[in-house]
Amino acid sequence: MILIIGGFAQGKLHYVKQSYVRCEDGRKVAVLDGTLELPAETGALQVIVNHLHHYIREQLRQGTAPEVMIENFCKEHPDCILICDEIGNGIVPMEAEERIYRERTGRILEQLAAQADEVVRVVCGIGQKIK
Amino acid sequence: MMTLILGGSGSGKSAYAEDYLLRAVGDKNKYYIATMQIRDAEMQAKVDRHHRLRQGKGFTTIEQPTELEQAVLQMEPTGAVLLECMSNLTANEMFSGEQPVDRQTVIAKILQGMEGLRKQADPLVIVTNNVFEDGIVYDSATMEYIEALGRINERLAAEADEVVEVIAGIPQQIKSGSPGAKAQNRQDSRG
Repeated sequence: MILIIGGFAQGKLHYVKQSYVRCEDGRKVAVLDGTLELPAETGALQVIVNHLHHYIREQLRQGTAPEVMIENFCKEHPDCILICDEIGNGIVPMEAEERIYRERTGRILEQLAAQADEVVRVVCGIGQKIK
Repeated sequence: MMTLILGGSGSGKSAYAEDYLLRAVGDKNKYYIATMQIRDAEMQAKVDRHHRLRQGKGFTTIEQPTELEQAVLQMEPTGAVLLECMSNLTANEMFSGEQPVDRQTVIAKILQGMEGLRKQADPLVIVTNNVFEDGIVYDSATMEYIEALGRINERLAAEADEVVEVIAGIPQQIKSGSPGAKAQNRQDSRG
């Protein structure tokens, strides 16, 4: 599993497509946007999850635990690429929901980073491998 | 030679950018393209602080809060240029009229201005702001602005010879100057 983090509008998906998706191995690429649900077709897919933070936020709103779902997903797709916004480098918000969202997202990223084979931080479209 | 310098507010990116430019130029004409529109005392204080920082360093200041393409008209054919900063310029281009200008137009206009500037500026040092990591979903006009700045940064970084992120006054080189090192960087980032 590869974890890509970085701020909003930093070109993370573009970076992933440029750097990690290799057409030559003929695998179909599936880009999931804020969801962990794969389209019905199966087979050898390179799975990219974009906007993981949207997924986390949605799960929290619904009262389910994103941690478990993400962990299971990573077990099923050990070579997936997860892309998540850095959302914690601002003022801690007044609203409890916003605070919890940042805290949980941060902890999830910490966990994912610990498990990941690689962690890349993308700034201005440039990837810095931090693990 | 083009260098992009990124940092948060109060990170020390301006002081770093000035020192960086002064180290790089020798005895060329030095231009400071100032993009801030002064609307109140707080802005005036910020501008004054930057003026003091630059004092005695031999910069010619060009006030260019919008219409970047016009900055070259006030320059000698060549010179060293420090543009400060892309976040103000982008905001000014987007929000100076009655209605916000759409994102694609702003991006295209600024990149076009940059292209003209690059023909005359060497080195060209651009200061930009890291406003992308707070996770707040602002009103749509602000989100359009943040996205415009993100895309401009991305494009400039791709074309820059060097990209530096300043954190607490400490520079981190995230894209390296020499061509050999650049290839190395790409390899690293590919994994």
